Amino acid sequence: MPKDAKGGDFVEITKLDGAIRGTLMPSHSKDTIVVKLSSGYNLAIRKGKIKKITLLKKLSKQKKERIGIKHKKGLKTVTILHTGGTIASEVDYETGAVTPQFSPEEITSMFPELENLVNVKSRLISNMFSEDMNFSHYNNIAQEIEREVKGKVDGIIISHGTDTLHYTSAALAFILEDLDIPVILVGAQRSSDRASTDAKINLICAAKFIAKTDFSEVAICMHENMEDETCLILPACKTRKLHSSRRDAFKPINTKPWARVYFNEDKIDVVDNRFRKKENRKLKLNLFNEKLKIGLLKSHPNMIADEIKRYERFDGLVLEGYGIAGNFPINETDEFTKENTKIYNELKKLANKIPVIASSQTIFGKINMNVYSTGRKLQEIGIIGGLSDMTAETAFIKLAWLLSNHPKQVKELFMHNLRGELSLRLSDTAFI
Amino acid sequence: MEKIDYEKIGFKCGLEVHAQLETHKLFCKCPSLVNDPNKTDIFIQRRLRAPAGETGHIDIAALHELKKGKSFIYEAKPTSSCLVELDESPPESLNHAALETALQIALMLNCQVVDEVIFMRKTVIDGSNTSGFQRTALIGLNGYIKTSKGRIAIATVCLEEESAKKIKEDSKTTTYSLDRLGVPLIEIATDASIKDNEHAKEVASFIGMVIRSTGRSKRGLGTIRQDVNISIKGSSRVEIKGFQDLRSIPEAIDNEVKRLIKLKDHKPEVRKVNLDFTTTFLRPMPGSARLYPETDIKEIQITKELLAKISLPELIDEKALRLEKEYSLNPYLARELVKSNINLSQYKIKFSNLEPSLIASILTEMPKEIKSRFNLDYSFKEKDFYFVLEAINQNKVPKDSALEILVEIAKGKEPNLDRYKKADDEELEKYIKELVKKNKELSTNALMGEIMKEYKGKVDGKKVMQILKRLR
Repeated sequence: MPKDAKGGDFVEITKLDGAIRGTLMPSHSKDTIVVKLSSGYNLAIRKGKIKKITLLKKLSKQKKERIGIKHKKGLKTVTILHTGGTIASEVDYETGAVTPQFSPEEITSMFPELENLVNVKSRLISNMFSEDMNFSHYNNIAQEIEREVKGKVDGIIISHGTDTLHYTSAALAFILEDLDIPVILVGAQRSSDRASTDAKINLICAAKFIAKTDFSEVAICMHENMEDETCLILPACKTRKLHSSRRDAFKPINTKPWARVYFNEDKIDVVDNRFRKKENRKLKLNLFNEKLKIGLLKSHPNMIADEIKRYERFDGLVLEGYGIAGNFPINETDEFTKENTKIYNELKKLANKIPVIASSQTIFGKINMNVYSTGRKLQEIGIIGGLSDMTAETAFIKLAWLLSNHPKQVKELFMHNLRGELSLRLSDTAFI
Repeated sequence: MEKIDYEKIGFKCGLEVHAQLETHKLFCKCPSLVNDPNKTDIFIQRRLRAPAGETGHIDIAALHELKKGKSFIYEAKPTSSCLVELDESPPESLNHAALETALQIALMLNCQVVDEVIFMRKTVIDGSNTSGFQRTALIGLNGYIKTSKGRIAIATVCLEEESAKKIKEDSKTTTYSLDRLGVPLIEIATDASIKDNEHAKEVASFIGMVIRSTGRSKRGLGTIRQDVNISIKGSSRVEIKGFQDLRSIPEAIDNEVKRLIKLKDHKPEVRKVNLDFTTTFLRPMPGSARLYPETDIKEIQITKELLAKISLPELIDEKALRLEKEYSLNPYLARELVKSNINLSQYKIKFSNLEPSLIASILTEMPKEIKSRFNLDYSFKEKDFYFVLEAINQNKVPKDSALEILVEIAKGKEPNLDRYKKADDEELEKYIKELVKKNKELSTNALMGEIMKEYKGKVDGKKVMQILKRLR
């Protein structure tokens, strides 16, 4: 291979059985060279078969023309903060590269529908998979939001990977005290390089909701169903990803969505109006303590006490137990359940030392630790859960946030509704 | 109109042949029900985003419509579509049977097989793919076939997903059925060295025969389709899509060339064949550069071990020729046997008293005749044929009764062989004698008719004729 041949260069590869011309592509394996043929197909050639590679033409990169965008009077200004889940991508058919687009010009040129809805500002604040995020990223996003609020934007859209989108939304809801603008997280279940991406609809519906309402909370905006016609505005602390791949993976848990936004119509349905509106509140950040160690432990058959013992050096633990009481195997009922007594003892020891919270694997429904003897026993040893209907994920975020900001009042504040994370009443419609 | 001199006008022509494979879908386990008869339960409205940086590369008309807010309605049946077809779940592992067939075909067309199968996304925005692209992979390249007018190069053999079928369209929406979306499709492209219109038909027919020789392609109308690319000196390339019947190729090319001769200045375009073999404008020609890698599918190594496992089937043409010689069959019957994948030697061993051509026509022709003449849609089982062939082989019934016995079976009846029992020779001769005596004025043929009516299926026509001739 000529030393100066790089991806994008046009080369001729001489093999034992003939020559092939094409554009050099990055190879996924060290044993092959990949070229893009004039037909558009990528061809991998084993290095052992190659006699010679001749560079025919260096890649000539065309500089993109930058067109400044003019902000329109009378439209709200929205900042899109990109954290990694890409909303817009451009495919380079020459090199096969998919390049995420982040600048306001690029976003607006790719989604011209935005132009008449809002004035777009846009910034890349991190570029990561959502599964890699931790408390420091929540703090970082919150500080970027504060910066935008100080800069007088009317709303913020955060593009985010979908895997932990619902953790981030809950975390931001807790951090951003007295938020007075909308902060809407959007993700995509189909990547934005493809024509069928859901990113566009999610983004435009989020922008439309900001443009047309005085909503001032943290929310998630994703597809309502498999169609591209409507998106839901979902409560930050009461939403969960319930499907690994569908566009409508995000569902409200134990509550209704706040609103439905129609993509192709000038229409918004307010489904549940219990959200805060603009009223000159002053934003205050209550950040996470990034050093905290919080665990999340799921009960399962054949559990052993060591699994609980591992958390003795943690600052808090959320139990994702079975059923209505968030049950754990703590009853010794026969010769085969001796381990359960050890589990009980470990939980008791732990709950004496750190806050231990109960939540349920059922996802939907409330915890009620009174209805079942196991639940009562868990309550007696100090496990907190009461009548919470928080998902395990929201309970995890709330525990971490309480330990960061109100370490002395964890038990008392946990069952106190701070950001709409707790429902007083469960309606019959708040299920799948 | 005068005959076209294809050489003089600088005729250039290449073919693209598409064939659906008879196996489950390419990237999921859904069955390949091209026209699923079950109830449509899923209706989904979608929109595609016009991809960035796209101008001349893709369907300009479709791009324009997308920008105007055109949407698509996808109709699907749970029996033939899952979340993969709905673009709600990524592609699952590749259908290996389909890959093996693609490799077979590539090798039969003398192609170099790729070292690695890399699936690409071919951007398609007319809605015919829910994802907005078609998944396609190069399997073989630089092959050739031999024809009566010299070698024709096979540029590429690809394995790809069949698109969704358009059901209806208005100015705001286009409706597609997802039944056939994702059915494995082989695409074979020749170079542009086809000499004339008849040659195009020959090449298409040969490639079709190669595909069918694998025994893994779907059968029936529309399962193998031809697109023809043509140009003449001074014209741009025109693609004529949608040939389902090879016989229409020569005439349609002829008509299109005449149109091109009249037309001087035009843009590359895609046209479809009309019923009268003229063509109409379909859309502007897509460029080749609209492919980028499909990152959801892992590259597949084509190892020596895998290639060693691929056996090459005997070509239908060769097999038919062999049968013709071996069993002195006429070419038509030999081909029919191969097409129906019937192992004649096995029957010949079992029913050794019978002529191969009799066995062949009972197995291949009679079911067709029963369907068309008696309007009976029955699919004969091997044991049905065994029953009839055995009876004839044992001389229990005359061979002329085969059709009637099969008709009985097709009607769901248990055939009573006694009814067809061969008539006693003496008795037959006595009957014929009397008949001849009584009807002196009748012609031999008329008498023959009378006798056959009386002895329906119980006598051998040849024999009756012999007796008649002897007695008159």
